[in-house]
Amino acid sequence: MVEGHVTISNLEKVYESGDERTKAIDDLSLEVPSGEFLSVVGPSGCGKSTLLYLVAGFLEESTGTIAVDEQPIEGPGTDRGVVFQDYALFPWRTVMGNVTYGLEQDGVPKEQRRATAQEFIDMMDLDGFEDKYPKELSGGMKQRVALARTLAYDPKILLMDEPFGALDQPLRELLQDHLLEIWRDVEKTVMFITHDVEEAVYLSERVMIMTRHPGTKKTTIEIDVDRTQDREDIIMSDAYTETKNQVWQSLREETQPEAQL
Amino acid sequence: MSYADFRLTDLEETLPAPFQRFVWFVFEWIPLLIAAGFWEFASGTFVPSAILPPPSEVAYVTWELLATGDVISHLQISLYRVGVGLALSISIGVLLGVGMARSDPVEDFFEVFLALIYPIPKAALVPLAILWLGVGTETAILIVFLACLLPIVLNSYNAAQNVDQNLIWSAQMMGMPSWKIPLKVVIPATIPSILTGIRQAIPIAFIALVSAELIASNEGVGFEILRYSEVGAYTQMFAVLVIISAAAFFAVRGYEWLERKVVRWT
Repeated sequence: MVEGHVTISNLEKVYESGDERTKAIDDLSLEVPSGEFLSVVGPSGCGKSTLLYLVAGFLEESTGTIAVDEQPIEGPGTDRGVVFQDYALFPWRTVMGNVTYGLEQDGVPKEQRRATAQEFIDMMDLDGFEDKYPKELSGGMKQRVALARTLAYDPKILLMDEPFGALDQPLRELLQDHLLEIWRDVEKTVMFITHDVEEAVYLSERVMIMTRHPGTKKTTIEIDVDRTQDREDIIMSDAYTETKNQVWQSLREETQPEAQL
Repeated sequence: MSYADFRLTDLEETLPAPFQRFVWFVFEWIPLLIAAGFWEFASGTFVPSAILPPPSEVAYVTWELLATGDVISHLQISLYRVGVGLALSISIGVLLGVGMARSDPVEDFFEVFLALIYPIPKAALVPLAILWLGVGTETAILIVFLACLLPIVLNSYNAAQNVDQNLIWSAQMMGMPSWKIPLKVVIPATIPSILTGIRQAIPIAFIALVSAELIASNEGVGFEILRYSEVGAYTQMFAVLVIISAAAFFAVRGYEWLERKVVRWT
């Protein structure tokens, strides 16, 4: 059986506070096949983070269903790992303590979980920082710890909420390439939220564009780029540029509705 | 804002490290020196020195009281009362604060109650406390406990209410069951604020202590103030005040030092 296949059907999310009802997600259906790297772009406030948190099980859907490998989800689960924009590292734990956290919950013996964590710490070039606390790290390092922490307990699906949004350009590119490498190695399904069209097209196999609030799927665009190439070659390629423009155009119709006229 | 916040950048960069620290030290204590200077001058000129003894004399008597050990046993008793009162208010206050933040029934139960006892000067409860616990240590501890409880409850309550939701979600997605969240996520995340609450409570503990000891004790530094003032020994009375204020000052400084050493991650 394939693993990490996400099926979202007729999903709707309504926030209620007092008498006010705000529809955040409106009738959204989407399939994310096992092992796919899917990016989600949309105008700000379109509910793309809400979508991610619904899939993570942090929020409850109002109607519709979300299933992973045909099993409807019930709350958060270790089959799905979230990487937050603000890292959400436990400040009272060291790098090692953060990365071993998931394994610890799973009851993995101490030696073994340290060994596994070390693997991911090394993968993220964080060796030597095992005993540092989050406050002693830079933003880029924190995000690498967060990524290592999520990868260490081996979820089938990575849910990433603008993970590189707070980082500067060179660092962002570095971590993007790192993520691509890892994704090729570990064969995980990735849902990647971003507001950056270039990032979406560079990273993913498919981009979902969401409509303005209340958000729903506008369209999805396949990205047919040879990812064995270096970054320069990808950025320069026609396929990349064309798809990027296509996504940009589609997104622009949503952010600037008057431009349609 | 403390004087340490003043920027002495130019000076800082030109001086070697030990001198820098010396400059900071001097700047921190200058206001005190100025005040002491005025006081020294005023005593015996504007104000009779019998009712406002000059700081030089107070300093000498302070040294004398400490050297002869007259005040030491009182100080020990007082510090014990402060310590126990604080420890009680920390253990109960943190539980209460976190409990109120994370559970609606607990919040409903205590919210009004705490709001009502907040404005009561804790010294006003001393006569009542004497009725229950008699004159002495228990009464002083109760008053210190009550006075320190609120800053600690309020700090942990606010912090526990505002724990970063993503931290809780992170723990949940990694498989932590919901019932473990308060102990394993909420309390650790609240620790920096709890520590701030404790820091705020230390001087309050001394205030409460002295107000209790002035009325309801036959020993302790508060009682010493009363005893000296009743016989008109104002220099000694001032000296005890200096000792109390120094004790509270070093308690806070020592606490801050310990906090930095022990809780490295904040």
